[in-house]
Amino acid sequence: MSTFTIPVGPLHVALEEPMYFKVEVEGETVVSLDITAGHVHRGMELLAMNRNFYQNITLTERLCSLCSNSHPCTYCMALEKIAGIQVPERGEYLRVIADEIKRMGSNLFNAGILAHIIGFESLFMHAMEIREIVQDIKETIYGNRMNLAANCIGGVRYDLTTEKVKYITKQLECLKKSLDELYDIYTKNKFVRARTEGVGVLPKEAAIHYGVVGPVARGSGIDYDVRKKSPYAAYDRLKFDVPVEEGCDVRARVMVRLREIFEAIKIVEQCLKDLPHGPTCIDYLPEIPAGEAVAKSEAPRGELIYYLRTNGTDTPERLKWRVPTYMNWEALHVMMPGNKVSDIPLIINSIDPCISCTER
Amino acid sequence: MSSFLKIALRNLLKGPSTDPYPFGETFVPKGLRGKIKYNAKACIACGMCEHVCAGGAIQIKETADKSGLEFIVWHNTCAFCGLCEHYCPTKAIRLTEDFHTAHSQEDKYRYVERGFIKYVTCARCATPMVPIAPELMTLAYGQVNKDIEKLRHLCPKCRQKQSLR
Ligand code: SF4
Ligand code: SF4
Repeated sequence: MSTFTIPVGPLHVALEEPMYFKVEVEGETVVSLDITAGHVHRGMELLAMNRNFYQNITLTERLCSLCSNSHPCTYCMALEKIAGIQVPERGEYLRVIADEIKRMGSNLFNAGILAHIIGFESLFMHAMEIREIVQDIKETIYGNRMNLAANCIGGVRYDLTTEKVKYITKQLECLKKSLDELYDIYTKNKFVRARTEGVGVLPKEAAIHYGVVGPVARGSGIDYDVRKKSPYAAYDRLKFDVPVEEGCDVRARVMVRLREIFEAIKIVEQCLKDLPHGPTCIDYLPEIPAGEAVAKSEAPRGELIYYLRTNGTDTPERLKWRVPTYMNWEALHVMMPGNKVSDIPLIINSIDPCISCTER
Repeated sequence: MSSFLKIALRNLLKGPSTDPYPFGETFVPKGLRGKIKYNAKACIACGMCEHVCAGGAIQIKETADKSGLEFIVWHNTCAFCGLCEHYCPTKAIRLTEDFHTAHSQEDKYRYVERGFIKYVTCARCATPMVPIAPELMTLAYGQVNKDIEKLRHLCPKCRQKQSLR
């Protein structure tokens, strides 16, 4: 059989962001691929060095829209480490709530897109409609459907009244019911299973070798979650499980994401119940001395690392991100070969790539 | 499959779940971060909002005739992050629930929120200065009595002298 090289991207109907894959195929089967990045580079590392610490809260939030809370949160944690700032306890709980609400929205989005790629449009619409419940929470509590603007140096800049706590609880109840149904469909529906089972396999050894993170790692049986391994904010005081699947395929990864939403609901409910009283943020403008720090968090896509170096002025000397997608997309070299051409978008979606984080 | 058919049927009976906007009402929660509103009377020209604004949407400049300060927010670069509101000591700058930002290209550079702070003169030495907003007085002194109220009309230098007396 003859081999061909087919280009996928940089703009492709099923890829939500520009990414270029040169795929070598034999008949209909993928043999190997070449990934070329760099189509949406915005020079944000330089931008960050030209803006002061406050402005960078907003800038980092705009790195990407789905993990848009993880970025400023991790950035603030790095700053707080350098300046020795202790975030008030209420602020820590509120940070967790914002993070988990974003995780629900992000994971639902990915699961929805999966349905869209396999051509199950009505399921896609249904998943997106369920996601609206989360979007309404964001809009009502934070004032925006994507960028929460929850974080500031030394805490958070929103607070929850009794009324708002009630509202979130009500919405979460509603979400739980719909989610049960959705989970059922993703586990049992024969179309979904036929298209996702055994597709894009990343064996555990390869997953370890490539150092993948987040749901991609957990879908390949690796129990790694920053929230457990090095807890930040209030995670050390909360009870939750880290979903791990052994399937190593597209299906395992979407299952991890769906199960994570249930855990996220559990976490938010605990936070609302135990929410300590007191301030949400420090009440002074902090001095940031010269120094350097690394902070990490579990973004919806996996471990997010921030490196920050300061020199005593009010702008960073260096700000560097390591985003989860870096490791995950290299693993595509393992996931792709042997699969059908029609599965390419599906496998790419299964690592939930965040191109805008990775190329910024 | 049957389970999904049930959901599809239920959704069909429920009717559309999208809002009929702009032909009907849409959901706008209180606290939505929309267009900026600025209140020059409460502003003390501290410049904090300009300092924290990532987009550089805010500009505070002395007018050409040196009669006061002009304040502008260019809506087109505002990211609606709300950092200016958070750090403004007197809450002179606020985000409103108005999310209607559609405008014609021709109005691009006119799409701004403006304010003007007219200088007043010091009651003692007549130097021009930014008027001190009542909001700042309450912030600094809590209860503002008559003596403190007098300080409002003095420039920083004269105020210092008065306080040391
Ligand atoms: S609007 Fe607020 S932050 Fe901006 S200059 Fe006026 S008082 Fe300061
Ligand atoms: S909301 Fe943010 S971007 Fe807009 S003017 Fe205020 S600080 Fe600037």
